[in-house]
Amino acid sequence: MVKAVKRLTWLICTFAMALVLIKPVSVNAEEERSAVYVQVPADWDAPCVWAWDEDGNNAFEAWPGGETEADAGNEGWYYIWIPSWADHVIVNANEGSVQTGELVLEGGNAWITVEDAENAAVSYEALTKGDIPEYVEKFEIHVDVPDSWEAPCLWAWSAPDGTNAFAAWPGEAFKQGEDGWYTGKAPVWVNSVIVNANEGSVQTEDIAIDPAELWITVEEDGSFEFSYDDPNAVSAPDIHVNVQAPADWEAPCLWAWSAPDGTNAFAAWPGEPFAAGEEGWLTLSVPGWINSVIVNGSEGSVQTTDISVETGKDIWLVVTGPEAYEVFYEKPADAAAVSNEEAAGDTEAADAGETADQTQAATNADTTADTQTTGTGLGTGVIVLIVVVCAVAAAVAVYAVKKRKKA
Amino acid sequence: MKKIITLLLSVTMLAGLLCGCGAQGPSLTEEEKNTIVIWHDKEEAVSGALLEELKTLVPDVTVQMEYKSNLTEALKMVGNDPKAAPDMYFFAHDKIGVYAEMGILAPVTGLIDRQTLDAAYVPMTLDAAVYKGEIYQLPVYFETLLFMYNRRYMADEAVPDTTEKLYAYMEEKTRGGHYGFVEQHSTAYYSAGWIHGFGGCIMDENGQAGLSLPETITALEYHRKFVELMPGESEYATVNTLFQEGKAHATIGGPWLVSAARASGMDLGIAAMPVIDETQIPISPYMGVQGVQVLKYAAENKTEAARKVLQALMQPSVGVALARVSGCAPAVEACYEEEEVSSDDVVMAMRATAENTIPMPNRPEMDIMWTVAADLLVNINMSGQDVTESCNAAQQNAEELIKKMQ
Repeated sequence: MVKAVKRLTWLICTFAMALVLIKPVSVNAEEERSAVYVQVPADWDAPCVWAWDEDGNNAFEAWPGGETEADAGNEGWYYIWIPSWADHVIVNANEGSVQTGELVLEGGNAWITVEDAENAAVSYEALTKGDIPEYVEKFEIHVDVPDSWEAPCLWAWSAPDGTNAFAAWPGEAFKQGEDGWYTGKAPVWVNSVIVNANEGSVQTEDIAIDPAELWITVEEDGSFEFSYDDPNAVSAPDIHVNVQAPADWEAPCLWAWSAPDGTNAFAAWPGEPFAAGEEGWLTLSVPGWINSVIVNGSEGSVQTTDISVETGKDIWLVVTGPEAYEVFYEKPADAAAVSNEEAAGDTEAADAGETADQTQAATNADTTADTQTTGTGLGTGVIVLIVVVCAVAAAVAVYAVKKRKKA
Repeated sequence: MKKIITLLLSVTMLAGLLCGCGAQGPSLTEEEKNTIVIWHDKEEAVSGALLEELKTLVPDVTVQMEYKSNLTEALKMVGNDPKAAPDMYFFAHDKIGVYAEMGILAPVTGLIDRQTLDAAYVPMTLDAAVYKGEIYQLPVYFETLLFMYNRRYMADEAVPDTTEKLYAYMEEKTRGGHYGFVEQHSTAYYSAGWIHGFGGCIMDENGQAGLSLPETITALEYHRKFVELMPGESEYATVNTLFQEGKAHATIGGPWLVSAARASGMDLGIAAMPVIDETQIPISPYMGVQGVQVLKYAAENKTEAARKVLQALMQPSVGVALARVSGCAPAVEACYEEEEVSSDDVVMAMRATAENTIPMPNRPEMDIMWTVAADLLVNINMSGQDVTESCNAAQQNAEELIKKMQ
């Protein structure tokens, strides 16, 4: 009866909570930030702030740091939001060619008046009028446009409500980098952009995007492709994977991928078969970006564990069993000398992380044998005790027999 | 004389055997009787919180928490040796059957009566602990998979409430290296939710493999179109990294993902599992119950200390403390009356989601099923093999292995 009542209570509670869940809950973890206002000399163009803490943690990835924005309501003042933990700053401008000395902040919002490189004053009393513009996180958009597309601009908005990120068409001008690509920024609440140029006379169609750093390649006719992965990232040339596999692994294949992004080198398991190489090695050419491999055989029915390898290097892999292998980055002088024992002892650690984090999915098919051999309920100590007692009893008995015979 | 010798030997051996079957070793000192060793494989935050609570609640019992990285295998090796085995172990409920069959576990009802348990616990957590009619686990907290999403990409109102809406979302958003939705699609623990949503199963409550059930086959056929819009590799690290680095809009993951997502600054949303259009049943993942199992030797020889520890673990403060550090849902009903628990969005979401979960089977045969199901999923999702043929072959393989096991 008690159980039935509890089940009913549980059901009611769950139903009530399920209703709550129809409106998703929020788990937000935003970083605390402080506003830094700067007023700089007239010849200090595009002021930036470089910020860090005493432990050497930098708020920005690279010098000259975060770009400030002009406060439309306070002429001559620029502002930037920095993490509150970053209490050391340098104000700089002209692409970092002029700068103040190190300024230590006390915390909270700060107003820095820069007279020149040697003289800067910090105030914690507001020196500007009105509210500080709210912090808005931004992301970068990189574009590669044809030469005929001059002075490209970014137009960005939030669909379907139509809120624009910039005041007027054609939007904000991109800045060209040394690699020829243009870069602009948009607030993270936008999900649609247009790349345009020639004062808005040429443009792409609407591009629906995720608010994350992306690279857009625009063609002459306005068609485009985009990727969230940097297409300019140095691509590694193909490498050769050379393998010696156990003799009973038929038609060994290679499965290879890039961790942790999960990009596979081959379309389907068990991957690509090796070709016969020199001196008894099996060999296969794979993209240089892979960093994880599995050697398998007999149509994938036997395989190694995940093997981590260094990116961009030819590999010589001696496999002696599913969990016994050795990785070389130069051809071993005498691969045949690599014995099973050595391979088993020196193998790189097999990747067991996947299941270690999932206690609920522990799997082991060996349970049967183990269960059958360990179910007696007698400890080894007890067994030893029995043997000793029996031995003593036997000795006493033999002694008694001998004594009786003598008698 | 020979008769005398035979009699003497027989009596001696019988005495020895009786000695072995009875006390199983030398009698314990008071100090030994009052010391409880608990093996676990949990992170420091969980084991530390548990130990602190036990120190406070049972100061007269010396509790030692010992971390074992390969706990399940270690227990198989030494579980019946009182000198090497722990008195209790803290682990998921799904291994209960293995150790109960080994004869090393004592039902917790020998220490805490059933009525007290029924009155204290969320019912399904006790249900999960039952093996062959006996309760072998004192539940502490439970966990299940959750539908999580990154609010930067997926607005609350865009969260798909059906699987077809989820598929449409994936089709629209999977491009340029970003994914609309990712999961460990070829891991049995994760695929189980889809299978259950179609009424299928990996293994039923009687220990029968369910891989060739029409419902299971339909589920895996249906699931495959989702897999095609996910990365080829789907192991734990890949899926979690994609989600935490903002390359995937949504995922199905465990509560252990929450803290990492929070740390990355993500505006994390948690929602109910999408309902499968064809069956009108939500994706229904497995539920795992973490709790304490008592070894038979300790139950018989350290009865009072073991009882005190179990009684302490039933106190709401334990569940509250562990929910705080692990983000999991307490098994003791009274914990939900505590503000700290009832105000925790993740814990409460898990409690709600848990209504549509299936307790992980705790039968020994499940060890075989994990492996067979994992191979099946690789064949279907990564090798592109025919679903029906693969399921039938896997079913046959599972049945053979289970038969050998028996």
